[in-house]
Amino acid sequence: MNRSDLYSLTPLLILSSAAILNFFSISIKRNHKVIFAITVLSLIGDFIFLTSYSLYHQQHIDPLLVVDGFGIFNIGLILLTTLVVALMSYAYFEQREERKEEYYILLILAALGACIMVISKHFVSFFLGLEVLSVSLYSLIAYLRTRERSDEAGIKYLILAAFSSAFLLFGMSLIYATTGKMDFGGIGYYLTTTQDIPLIMMAGLGMLIVGAGFKLGVVPFHMWTPDVYEGAPTPVTAFIATVSKGGMIALLVRFFNAINGYQYESFTNLFTVLSIASMFVGNILALRQTNLKRILAYSSISHIGYLLVAFLSGGSMGAQATTFYLVAYFITTLGAFGIIATLSDQHRDAELIDDYRGLLWRRPLTAVAFSAMLLSLAGIPLTAGFIAKFYVITAGIGTQHWLLVFCLVVNSVIGLYYYIKIIAVMFDQKLQIKSAKELHPLVYVISSVTIAVLAVFLFWLGVSPEGMLSLIDDVI
Amino acid sequence: MVNTEFLISLVPLFPLLGFLIVALNVRRLSHGVTAFIACGAILLSFITSVVLFTKLLSAPEAERSITVTLYQWFAAGSFSANISFLLDPLSSLFLLIITGVGFLIHVYSIGYMHDDKGFNRFFSYLNLFVFFMLLLVMGSNYLLMFVGWEGVGLCSYLLIGFWFKNQNYNDAANKAFIMNRVGDLGLLIGIVLIAWKFGSISYPDVFANALQNSEALKSHGILITWITMLLFVGAMGKSAQIPLYTWLPDAMAGPTPVSALIHAATMVTAGIYMIARNNVLYAMAPATLTVVMIVGLATAIFAATIALKQNDIKKVLAYSTVSQLGLMFLALGLGAFTAGIFHMATHAFFKALLFLGAGSVIHALGNEQDIRNMGGLKKYLPVTYMTFLIGVLAISGIPPFAGFFSKDEILANAFAQNKIVWVLAVGASLLTAFYMFRLFFLTFFGKERASHEKMHHIHESPKSILIPLIVLAILSLAGGFMGVPEVLHGSHWLSHYLAPVFASSTQFLAHHDHLSHATEYALMGGIVGATIILIIFAYSRYAKNNHVPATDETTTGLQRVLMNKYYIDELYNAIIVKPLYHISAVFEAFIERLGIDKLVNASGSFVVWGSRTARLLQNGSIGYYIFIMVIGIVLILVANNLK
Repeated sequence: MNRSDLYSLTPLLILSSAAILNFFSISIKRNHKVIFAITVLSLIGDFIFLTSYSLYHQQHIDPLLVVDGFGIFNIGLILLTTLVVALMSYAYFEQREERKEEYYILLILAALGACIMVISKHFVSFFLGLEVLSVSLYSLIAYLRTRERSDEAGIKYLILAAFSSAFLLFGMSLIYATTGKMDFGGIGYYLTTTQDIPLIMMAGLGMLIVGAGFKLGVVPFHMWTPDVYEGAPTPVTAFIATVSKGGMIALLVRFFNAINGYQYESFTNLFTVLSIASMFVGNILALRQTNLKRILAYSSISHIGYLLVAFLSGGSMGAQATTFYLVAYFITTLGAFGIIATLSDQHRDAELIDDYRGLLWRRPLTAVAFSAMLLSLAGIPLTAGFIAKFYVITAGIGTQHWLLVFCLVVNSVIGLYYYIKIIAVMFDQKLQIKSAKELHPLVYVISSVTIAVLAVFLFWLGVSPEGMLSLIDDVI
Repeated sequence: MVNTEFLISLVPLFPLLGFLIVALNVRRLSHGVTAFIACGAILLSFITSVVLFTKLLSAPEAERSITVTLYQWFAAGSFSANISFLLDPLSSLFLLIITGVGFLIHVYSIGYMHDDKGFNRFFSYLNLFVFFMLLLVMGSNYLLMFVGWEGVGLCSYLLIGFWFKNQNYNDAANKAFIMNRVGDLGLLIGIVLIAWKFGSISYPDVFANALQNSEALKSHGILITWITMLLFVGAMGKSAQIPLYTWLPDAMAGPTPVSALIHAATMVTAGIYMIARNNVLYAMAPATLTVVMIVGLATAIFAATIALKQNDIKKVLAYSTVSQLGLMFLALGLGAFTAGIFHMATHAFFKALLFLGAGSVIHALGNEQDIRNMGGLKKYLPVTYMTFLIGVLAISGIPPFAGFFSKDEILANAFAQNKIVWVLAVGASLLTAFYMFRLFFLTFFGKERASHEKMHHIHESPKSILIPLIVLAILSLAGGFMGVPEVLHGSHWLSHYLAPVFASSTQFLAHHDHLSHATEYALMGGIVGATIILIIFAYSRYAKNNHVPATDETTTGLQRVLMNKYYIDELYNAIIVKPLYHISAVFEAFIERLGIDKLVNASGSFVVWGSRTARLLQNGSIGYYIFIMVIGIVLILVANNLK
């Protein structure tokens, strides 16, 4: 490893150091504010450092990693998302857990795992990143030990993730058995030189898809999603919905481009089925839910279905649509969960639709921001979600995926129904007075500003998406 | 002189600013200030629209289409979407109506909503609505139109729900929502198809492309038929045509000015606008035009028969709106685009007048809406009575009121093309005259049936309510003169004005010989005569003999079917709403709730868990999760190896 390698890996090193620094700080004195400050500052510092890279930066750290524009962009996205999650965590944990400091260490480590995933070009680094992310998530999900559904969710995630990891590893070994390679490039080269792909190889790739499908929560590997979304602390749910899924999508894009997976009809057919099933199952199940976190869980299942449409389109248009969709989805999801987190009190999360009845009259700005988030999820014009969906449709049409585009449009229409239902509840007249323990006003300011910034981004991307689009265009 | 481009972008800007100012200070502003800002914003828009209109008139005919591009919204692949506005005769006419009628309704709302707690909120929604409506008609591409389309839908949803407090409303709103979803679905797919086929979503590009390839498009008629049909599905939803009309009568739950503005004068005409805008595409798809015609005609008759037996003053007006919209679609389907737009314009005047008049009655009687509890109001509400009479005469098509000219033009076109269509359309038109006068006589004539307490409090409405009524009455009286046909020695100014918009589509439409003047006179005379006979019949039945519709329980047979609106609501509930919920329930039962216990019973011991795990895992459903995953895995592996 030489100096330029080290330079390219600095963002990861900063994250690791931040985790270690937090350890030291805890061993000296437990102080929520200090840990929070270290976490936030190191994430911000890391992001600022990241912006010093050129977008055309290309550094191979053979054989495991490649730091290129796409990777840098995704690392940036992960860092900012983690920052937002950390910001919304302070108020949330301040009123709940006694031992809240370790939470930040786990959060940073989970982000580190996701960062490794998005720059890996080798099965070993892929698996390493995935496990760092997953192991952190097990404990993050069950972090609020005293809550009823918390450890249940943690254990469920643990068992199912272990189950899928086993398949992932098995798939990797089958591929290694055929090709003798574990780096994406080598596997791609093998595939170009072979006419008839052996059965074992196909089985291996299929198992890989199982592992990835679990992380993404696509049907039929989606079963954990509602339980975990509901049981996990709200900021952690936001993290799972964004970073954990986004990291896997970025990795899939890289892997599929490397092996040129789009040329194999059996793969595209497979993803088509997964995508359509996810859209329909997610949306239809969301229709009758009364628990907001479960609604968002099912909605995330269908959103991954939409994302797969862009992913399947392939090419630069597909990659652009995928990335833009991820950005829009990140902003919206963070905003939605951020609002749930700010409205929660120390006993329970504000997760029932009834908690939001008449919200407009109690907290008008929060209600408006939440409406904006929901409208963006529904893909209403002037929000980021609309442009994102429009791009996905364009990418789908460009590659003649008619069935997928048709299903997407039908599902957008179904989906709008339950999003608007929530908005209607917020505009309801009935007042519900709730009293929450008062925290330091600064805490609320942090949460409110975070949400306001997200809402501004949401409209900015919806009204003037050119800047973000050209940035994405540059990194692909 | 300020340049035209700048003025065009000002038109939607004023209501947007009005909305932002009021919405951001919703708690701080006094009612007076809010009313001033909100009405002022629309008035400024109206003045700007008038200036633009005169500019268009003074420009040579070839230059009457101005596009203003503010900036590029985004570019996807090969085509781009701009935020840009299109001003041409068609959109300028809509601008005048939206801002003009909109302004009057704003003024009216000051009086109507004066003691409502949500006064400021109400005005902010109204301004937002006008903004989206302007966007809809001014956008120079399909996407911007879609933005407006969704926006007005959202505002309508908010405004309908303005007063709701009961569960009934919720059910109705849900249903209304699903109706509009179906419509929007069609519109979206249509736009996607256009984007794919023509490689652009801006009107000028698409129409130019379509004209260039007209031969190819017409010879492979399927695609253009699909595109136009899908757009029409969107129009059916927004403009309340069969089978997507049932939401409109339910939308009457909102405050009356909302019914006037949104559900009579502006939003529901969005479908008319869209088809008129796309006249080139529709002209190339004769099959779609036939469908439009049949749907319009069927809706016109169907809704008119329902209106015959309704007893809620706003419901009658709502069904009459559906019926009149049907007539407009009939005109469009006949290829008589000008006639459709003409009727849209006059209808905006007299239907807004009728709704506002109804609001004045409801206001005077302390929120009474049932016409069986009215009667004899003539002497208590003289101004409302006179203006309402003008509105009823206009909608019935009595010369020289506005409705006569526009309806006559539609009927003449129908006669020239198809006699059966003409007979049916005349039937719908006569029904309209009958039920409108039934409503009129039951409300203003005969015995006073309202309770003593209500009659005690009765009072004519304040000026802010009456002035808009008077202005609208003048418009309903005079509005028809913009399109006096040649046979009555007019020049039909409107058809000349709109000619450039519809010029390129005429080549695709079948030509029909002009009717001889004698025939036209005979048709007019016959219809007007029949209408007057019906009015006299209605007078003797409802005003002179004091016939009052029976109570709900005692009606039987066909009357009951009509009163229950052919049970369409119940039908939709049974075939759409309930099944969707059932599917969701089934999914939930099988995928969500089915625990390992049931599974074990069914398929034998599948996975055995330790007792500790089982306790933690809440009836062990995780085994079921894994089971589903395994099924998925097996399927994937099998699929992967099928060649």
